[in-house]
Amino acid sequence: MEDSLKGKIRQMMHEDSETLVRSLEREDGVLELKMGLDSGKFDVHNAISEDDDLKQELEDLIRKFYPEKKEFTEEDVDDVFDEDEYKAQSSAVRRSSVVEEVIPPENFSHVVGEIYRSSFPRPENFAFLQKRIKLKSILVLIPEEYPQENREFMEDAGIKLFQVGMSGNKEPFVNIPSDILTRALEVAINPANHPILIHCNRGKHRTGCLVGCIRRLQNWSLTMIFDEYRRFAFPKARALDQQFIEMYDDHVIKKNAHENNWLPIKW
Amino acid sequence: METDYEEDDDNVYINEELESGKEQVVVSHAPDQRIVPPLNFCPVERYLYRSGQPSPVNFPFLLNLNLRTIIWLANEEPQDTLLEFCDAHGIQLQFATINPDGGEDDNPWDGLTEHSIISALQTIVNIENYPLLVCCGMGRHRTGTVIGCLRRIMGWNLASVSEEYRRFTGSRGGRILVELLIEAFDTHLVKIDREKAPRWLLSAVK
Repeated sequence: MEDSLKGKIRQMMHEDSETLVRSLEREDGVLELKMGLDSGKFDVHNAISEDDDLKQELEDLIRKFYPEKKEFTEEDVDDVFDEDEYKAQSSAVRRSSVVEEVIPPENFSHVVGEIYRSSFPRPENFAFLQKRIKLKSILVLIPEEYPQENREFMEDAGIKLFQVGMSGNKEPFVNIPSDILTRALEVAINPANHPILIHCNRGKHRTGCLVGCIRRLQNWSLTMIFDEYRRFAFPKARALDQQFIEMYDDHVIKKNAHENNWLPIKW
Repeated sequence: METDYEEDDDNVYINEELESGKEQVVVSHAPDQRIVPPLNFCPVERYLYRSGQPSPVNFPFLLNLNLRTIIWLANEEPQDTLLEFCDAHGIQLQFATINPDGGEDDNPWDGLTEHSIISALQTIVNIENYPLLVCCGMGRHRTGTVIGCLRRIMGWNLASVSEEYRRFTGSRGGRILVELLIEAFDTHLVKIDREKAPRWLLSAVK
């Protein structure tokens, strides 16, 4: 039985590639019908891969049609056809280059000018931050130590780290002190640090408070500041954070900002 | 009732439309100036913004942005005030009609056609139109569709595109049809002229 199969395959070798693939598929189908889907023993593909001579002959044959493909098994034949089809269909509108996929961090957004916000960046986001945003600095608002992985990435990419640790407005009795927020704002709105990414853990609460205070420096109405805060904090908006944004005493930062000519913050 | 009315009439106030009473206002101290961005306003990229339909209360804010172009994504005309505002400040208002055959009776809930998305994106990939604001009625779905397709051109992964879209859709959440449209959008249909592309786009499509 195996010998007759080999004969059949040898015969196929003289057919052109499309007919060959169709015959192989037909053969597969017939065998599957006969033996059930789990049959492997008499499968054409198996027969080919078990016989080195046959394998070599088939590869030579396929190489004739697809000289650029050095190595592939029969299972890939379908894929090759798809690719060709795809090339033919899309050659008219194909762009000369392929866009590299990037993965922005969760809750990523522009804030103003070259100030950005997000949740904690993970290794899959590094390429995005380095190549697309071309970050100069990162301002992190967590008190915990910054992960080694992120530090190494920043060193390689030449990104400066600023850490202003705060622990968020949580009931009861935990509040972000105003002077700490002022310090964070001084880093964030200083053009020398731009482009800068502000982040905490989820990019919702602490980052939201800081961005809310940036909006106050831009004289936004509180209603729209809260609206933006809630958009990013959804579904975990905290009333205390919104209160904090409203109550934050901006005298010191406004004075510093004016002295350094940081205001108005450029769009 | 009658006396209330008369009392009101005696009060000095500015009627914005008639500008009556303007001369009588005495400014004793600087007003606590607050500026109001439009509904759902957010920067997308440098000098590219998104929002819902701006109303007169947002105009001082919009002036800060030095807009050159506003893309309006709807069949119906925006409010007259917006048309006048654009006229007065030399802002070109581009209509990306969502369904050209629908006319005024068209259902505003309908999504954008591929044609209108491409026409909006062609404007967005050209730096000559910047600074630029993309808006629709609420700045949710139609604006979200166009920005979503732009993110696809930029090579953002789909989960991030969807997250951004849903951030602006409000309590009712996102529409599956919009997300399907964004996913299926053929980014090659938008022709990018490298000479005129914004910098952030160039770093994406190089």
